[in-house]
Amino acid sequence: MTDRRRFEQQVLPHIDAAFNLARWLTRNDHDAEDVVQDAMLRAYRHFEGLRGEARPWLLAIVRNACFSWIRRNRPAEVAAGPDEEATAPADGPEALLARELDRRMLNEAIAALPLQFREVLILRELEDLSYREIARIADVPIGTVMSRLARARRLLAESVRVIAVASRLQTEK
Amino acid sequence: MKPEEAARLLHAYVDRELDAAKSLELEAQLAADPALRERFARLRELSAGIREKADYHAAPSSLAARLSAALPGAASIAPRRATRWILPAAAAALAAALAVGIALVRPGDEDALLREMVASHVRSTLGNRLIDVASSDQHTVKPWLSARLPFSPPVADFSPEGFELAGARVDYVGGRPVAVLVYKRRQHLIDAFIWPGSGPRDGAYSRDGFNVERSSVEGMRICLVSDLNRNELSDLARLLIARR
Repeated sequence: MTDRRRFEQQVLPHIDAAFNLARWLTRNDHDAEDVVQDAMLRAYRHFEGLRGEARPWLLAIVRNACFSWIRRNRPAEVAAGPDEEATAPADGPEALLARELDRRMLNEAIAALPLQFREVLILRELEDLSYREIARIADVPIGTVMSRLARARRLLAESVRVIAVASRLQTEK
Repeated sequence: MKPEEAARLLHAYVDRELDAAKSLELEAQLAADPALRERFARLRELSAGIREKADYHAAPSSLAARLSAALPGAASIAPRRATRWILPAAAAALAAALAVGIALVRPGDEDALLREMVASHVRSTLGNRLIDVASSDQHTVKPWLSARLPFSPPVADFSPEGFELAGARVDYVGGRPVAVLVYKRRQHLIDAFIWPGSGPRDGAYSRDGFNVERSSVEGMRICLVSDLNRNELSDLARLLIARR
């Protein structure tokens, strides 16, 4: 079987996962397309290095391509993330009722999460990856994946609540 | 377990990442602590809400086309249509074989069979998803399949449980025509390959990032293939078995 054929069978089927991650990290269709195309060509060049499952392997390449792109184009976003390791997870509630979870608000709130929290949340909730796989992709220890995920969910619940209150005030005016 | 420890582990528990010993400890804590239970319920709700409502951005088809042009070497994926012509002839031969009762799978064929199913799943997810009959209505899908196969597969929609029936196709794997039910869960597609027979092995299998869940029930073999995680894949297997 040719390399290209093997690549088409093993890697290409994960193009949706690749695009979804890139789209959430760059927050823009056009940029996500460019980044995924570069990442895919890169994946093809390093295809013989693939051991184990193709999807996490590809997502690690896409993730790195996204971070390079963000470093070049929006350096503030990479530099500015709050440090979650310094603080023990605060005992904040994830309080949030599902019926309050409006689709548009939720998507805005996820998009507004700091990059390193958005990343683990997308990999966990939308790509169904294990902590171990996420740790490998984001290049952090598993404990960091856990704390970032906890923080991401708290931030998300908090901002959805704020958005919900703000929009209620808006309609009452 | 201290309350702070329990609160910290709650996320791992929701994500099914806690080992058995810690899970038991946490479950004991949950049973004893209503506030923790409340937190757990909300956390699970949040996680389910994200999975259900957050946008999943599938790649635009223009991207696949750009890539195909940019990759070195010639595109080599044969259009899936190529298998179509085989089907009627094979189905006829198979019906004859079934009539005299030759439909046994040799154990050595099992791995080849799994590979074939994963390949079929991959082919059908590349480009346009191939569904011969697109319907979530089991009363449409079941007769359609029965009319084309020498057996009548179980068909059911599990939308309330989060597995929406998207349709079905007839495929040819392991030297026999099989029914393939296509389910959707979030953005994942699941192929359920069904044919009469018994398999040498049940259980999970993983290949190239795809999970396969094998089971058999009442003379039917059911194999689920998807990039969905194993836990949820076995949820669907249980539903299909219970419905049968």
